[in-house]
Amino acid sequence: MKRKVVRHSGTVRLIHWAVALSTIMLIFTGFGQMPMYKRYGIAKLPGLGWSGDFHITLYLHYLAGMVLAFALVYHLVFHGLRREFGLLPRRGDLKGSYLFIKAIFGLGPEPPADKFLPEQRLAYAFIGGNLILVGVTGLIKVLKNLPGVDFPVGFLLWVTNLHTLSAILLVLGIGAHLAAFAFPANRPLLESMFTGKVALDYARSRHPLWYRKLFPSPLPDTEEPRNPEG
Amino acid sequence: MSGLTRREFLKLSTATLVAGGLTLAGLNRVAWAAPEAQVGTFIDLTRCDGCRAWPLPRCVAACREENFRKFPQPVANIPLNWPLNTKEDWSDKKDLTTRLTPYNWIFVQHVRVEDGGQAVDVFIPRRCMHCDNPPCANLCPFAAQYKTPEGPVLINHNLCLGGAKCRDVCPWGIPQRQAGVGLYMKIAPGYLGGGVMYKCDLCYHRVKNGKTPACVEACPRGAMIFGPKDRVLDEAMTRAREINGHLYGARENGGTSTFYVAPVPFEKIHNQLMAQKARQSNPKMPGFPGMPVNVGNFLDGVNGLVAGMLVAPVAGAVAAGWAAYKTMTGGKRDEA
Repeated sequence: MKRKVVRHSGTVRLIHWAVALSTIMLIFTGFGQMPMYKRYGIAKLPGLGWSGDFHITLYLHYLAGMVLAFALVYHLVFHGLRREFGLLPRRGDLKGSYLFIKAIFGLGPEPPADKFLPEQRLAYAFIGGNLILVGVTGLIKVLKNLPGVDFPVGFLLWVTNLHTLSAILLVLGIGAHLAAFAFPANRPLLESMFTGKVALDYARSRHPLWYRKLFPSPLPDTEEPRNPEG
Repeated sequence: MSGLTRREFLKLSTATLVAGGLTLAGLNRVAWAAPEAQVGTFIDLTRCDGCRAWPLPRCVAACREENFRKFPQPVANIPLNWPLNTKEDWSDKKDLTTRLTPYNWIFVQHVRVEDGGQAVDVFIPRRCMHCDNPPCANLCPFAAQYKTPEGPVLINHNLCLGGAKCRDVCPWGIPQRQAGVGLYMKIAPGYLGGGVMYKCDLCYHRVKNGKTPACVEACPRGAMIFGPKDRVLDEAMTRAREINGHLYGARENGGTSTFYVAPVPFEKIHNQLMAQKARQSNPKMPGFPGMPVNVGNFLDGVNGLVAGMLVAPVAGAVAAGWAAYKTMTGGKRDEA
């Protein structure tokens, strides 16, 4: 049996998918507020008639916003309390990302990586930053919709434009995130986001620094991995 | 006196005298001087006669004269909107005064309502209600509409892309679209956006300087009273009690700053208006609003979710704190 090691715990997977699914719903219903689904015939597609109804799309936007707000704060507080900052960008990540991307195209070796690759840390910061921006501006827009709450028009212009800009950047970020799986080297991580585990061989070859933290002493071929969560 | 009969001349003269008298007496404004106060309008439908003595209601004429510089000036060859191959072009109907258009921000409806065994004629000047919590402004995806501190709801014609969502979420469908003008013509004409939305701005350029809107000033019968919103509403309620009449605009859409008082129930007026609309050559054409009584605000539904929206992040923090404590005391690592 192929030996595996835990990479994504149940909590991490749950929050990842809560963020992913709510964000996809927010993006779809958010663009529905533009308004564009009636204009471009999306609402005429089978099963998508509801997308042209602002009542429905706005309601779903709010519900998905609640899920995202819960998941974002959960993620920040959970890992903050546990002092787990492995996904935050580090000095040299730009250069490291360049070397990794070069290696994907066969131009040189991959530098030894920790649990996360440099471009994963940069992608996390990019997507995370935009999620926070879209969330905070979204919350202000929610408050603005309440009776008796009037913000100055200049402030609302900034909030609205930042909300739209961060949503567009999120779409680009998510697109790049998914495009990464076009490369076979990254695919073990896709499986891990469902099962939580990656092959031990993969961890050893691509994340040697992480592997050494998990197994400080050499692992005999016959021994089961001593992963704390394994 | 060409074009006027002796009878029409007498009617005109009488009306002018009445208008002059009312204006001099200051009856069409209620001590309005402070630009920072929220403003409102009371439209007394027992006084409005649709200016039958004039070729055009005076409020309509005054609005057009006051605001014509703000009206759209579209390009000659307006592109069709892909992929629907449609456009909303009112530029060849600038003289149309029987409905709301980008070139006509107020018009007067006329219904005859049976009430108490009598037929009552009601003339209703219609324009933006300038709502307390305007869904048109709140839901504009580009913040091209906004409510001013004084209350009037304005459209930024330089920013509006003409998606017409504001019209869809307005219970009265007030804003009207003109194609071939505005920002979208500089981005991707025909492929993105559809024009610019136009509606009454309550003569904001006058209001912020302590003046009354042009329609109010022009009303020859003092049917429109403009001033601080609270006092105007008081006047409307008092008038409704005096005539045992009906009030419209105080509760509709969550509250507006335009208050109508009529001698007959607004349900009957609304039904008549809808019947008129159904008889029009194109009943789906925008710009002929009804008067649905107690109509709700588009945002009522989602505003009911706000408590959940505010609780969600707090719940996330509490749940995460609990989970982190459990896993840390259990000695687990759970790196992001």
